[in-house]
Amino acid sequence: MKRKMTPRQKNEAKWGLIFVAPTIIGLLILNYYPIFETVYQSFCKTGDFGIGNKFIGLKNYITLFHDKEVFQTLFNAVKYAAVSLPLTIIISLVLAVLLNRKMKGRGIYRTIFFLPMVCAPAATAMVWKWIFNQQYGLLNHILGIDVAWVTNPAIAWLCIVIIGVWGGIGNNMILFLGGLQDIPKDYYEAAAIDGSTGVHSFFHITIPLLSPMLFFVIQTGIIGALQLFDLPYMVMDKSSRAWPTVKSITYLFYEYAFERSDRGYGATIVMFMIVIIGIITFILQKSEKKWVHYE
Amino acid sequence: MRKNSWLKKGLAIGLSTAFVLSLAGCGGSGENSGSSGDKTIRVGIWDNNQLAGLQQIADEWGEENGYDVEFQVTDWDSYWTMLEAGVQGGEMPDVFWMHSNNALKYMQAGAMLNLDDYIENDDTMNIDDFYPDITNLYTLDGSHYAIPKDHDTIAVIYNKAIFDKYGIEYPTSDWTWQDFADIAQEISEKGAADGVYGTYCNSGDVQNFWYNVIYAFGGKVISDDKTESGFDDPATVEAMDFIANEILPGCPPADAMANTGGDTMFQSGLLGMLPQGSYDVIKYYDADNVDDYGWVMLPYADVNGDGQCQKEERVSIYNGLGWAAYANTDDPDAAYSLISHFCSEESQKKQAELGVTLAGRMGCSDPFQEAYSNMDMTPFIDIEDAGTLVMRPYSKESNWESDICDVLVSAWSDPSTMDEVLTEVVDTMNADLAEENE
Repeated sequence: MKRKMTPRQKNEAKWGLIFVAPTIIGLLILNYYPIFETVYQSFCKTGDFGIGNKFIGLKNYITLFHDKEVFQTLFNAVKYAAVSLPLTIIISLVLAVLLNRKMKGRGIYRTIFFLPMVCAPAATAMVWKWIFNQQYGLLNHILGIDVAWVTNPAIAWLCIVIIGVWGGIGNNMILFLGGLQDIPKDYYEAAAIDGSTGVHSFFHITIPLLSPMLFFVIQTGIIGALQLFDLPYMVMDKSSRAWPTVKSITYLFYEYAFERSDRGYGATIVMFMIVIIGIITFILQKSEKKWVHYE
Repeated sequence: MRKNSWLKKGLAIGLSTAFVLSLAGCGGSGENSGSSGDKTIRVGIWDNNQLAGLQQIADEWGEENGYDVEFQVTDWDSYWTMLEAGVQGGEMPDVFWMHSNNALKYMQAGAMLNLDDYIENDDTMNIDDFYPDITNLYTLDGSHYAIPKDHDTIAVIYNKAIFDKYGIEYPTSDWTWQDFADIAQEISEKGAADGVYGTYCNSGDVQNFWYNVIYAFGGKVISDDKTESGFDDPATVEAMDFIANEILPGCPPADAMANTGGDTMFQSGLLGMLPQGSYDVIKYYDADNVDDYGWVMLPYADVNGDGQCQKEERVSIYNGLGWAAYANTDDPDAAYSLISHFCSEESQKKQAELGVTLAGRMGCSDPFQEAYSNMDMTPFIDIEDAGTLVMRPYSKESNWESDICDVLVSAWSDPSTMDEVLTEVVDTMNADLAEENE
């Protein structure tokens, strides 16, 4: 049954609304309006400078489903996510566990692993570009080999994965460290008395209790990986024969929406991505009950 | 507290790094030097190399008229994104550069100020003094929307040290594209052990390289009415085959070109010859080994086989930017006045003299020859009489250009497939043009 609000509650509600109003208005103008505008534009052939949009129904969507490049770039993004995400999670989890102990130089190690996060991605990408350079790059020089790292279609995308993992470890490690510090020591002590070893405790205490954080990292990680954009753009030249195997769907969107000013088709690509990410998120949310333990 | 101190440290380092990096980022986007006046005119350009010279010319005008001229430099790709968003949102620089690739679109949308009345009332301005092809780029239905800022031509820079090392004679202006290819292959052969190559021609090197070859061979990139691809023209096919069979063997492998830019390789002493635009010169004059560098005119293609260079057999692609004003600028009079100053005979000569670019006004480019005491720039100017200048191919949106470059990547990886790839180029380009004219 609904109770009537007292005058005091009403007053509080009013001021509450006033205080959150800037955020609500900001969301409406900066997020919700563009969402609806994007949906609308995906049904249009957009004119120059946003003037003279012509409604063309589903034509953009029909083109999209016949566009091989859309599926190739989507595949590229999925392939990137499928390899980079597990690597990032495993490495950062192991590092977090190792750095969660009392040890000498712990602060230094934590800082070192976190450093890639605080460098501008464009700057680090430029450095990586020269490390991977086939003729004059550091990597081939040190190893004394001649590998076409970013021009061979078979391995170029793996180079992007390496850079992505390197850049993503720090952030995930911090999140895992936060999660680890919330796990009470008592569990481990009790388990040790019962004869549990370090590895056993890790899989039966640490992982289950860390699962909410794991879930969060996986979910944001998948979305982030599918939105891959800056790395290939900065590291590779478009004249590289490997470019079609690395180009991500977000880049394809950028190409249509901004370089070719075909906003309508760009919006259609984004709608397609939203659906894909929506499906993945839905599946993840469904699986949450099965393996995520909240205390 | 102890527990979190490392995080604080990390954060402190992070924030300060981010801060420094963001400062560095801003540094690139150009601030104006202090001149008098509290009124401001904003100028949008995309080439940082030209900033210093243009700022100097603009400040003369600023001091005279009591304005601050504030330059905003954005790199080429972001420039057009910025401009497009600017037109849509009504937040534009007052005066900006326009390019052949996009001019028609901006004129048709009414984003550029119609300059007819201003030109008519300006005694110092006679539009016929400028290169007519460039003026035409910025003319719609007989109205002028921009005034030519400059023109650019192509010449070949070569590294004398490499020619000396392998005992090859320096090129002279009476050479053919075949000579060019032979020399390039010879250098690549002799320099194999040193990692030195004859020349560098990537799939995207259109204006400074293979467009020139196509037109010298008598081919064309796009039909005159800009509705059809020229890549099925027999002369164009012949030129592209020549690139595949004669030029590419003298270049680094396609993978290497995708890794490293031609200018970088040339500056590192790894290339013998490189066709470059007059707008590129500024990259070379302050090199440590600038004394090794020489410029020579583009070769000609001896199409009729008489062993002589006819004017139409030596072609330099040329293009020119325009100074345009935003249609809804707050201060159109000042915007035009600044454009008029940039395009005055004096400023155009000064632009050449400072080595910024060749002039958009005819007969004002000669000072460019002496702009760099250590390099002879005459090949850029001589080709105007000794050859033909062909306007860089363009259409309303010119989306086809990046598309055909993408398609050509596979022909660069395997030059023997050039003919098949060219049929794909024709299809891609015609599809883009059909969409553009829909």
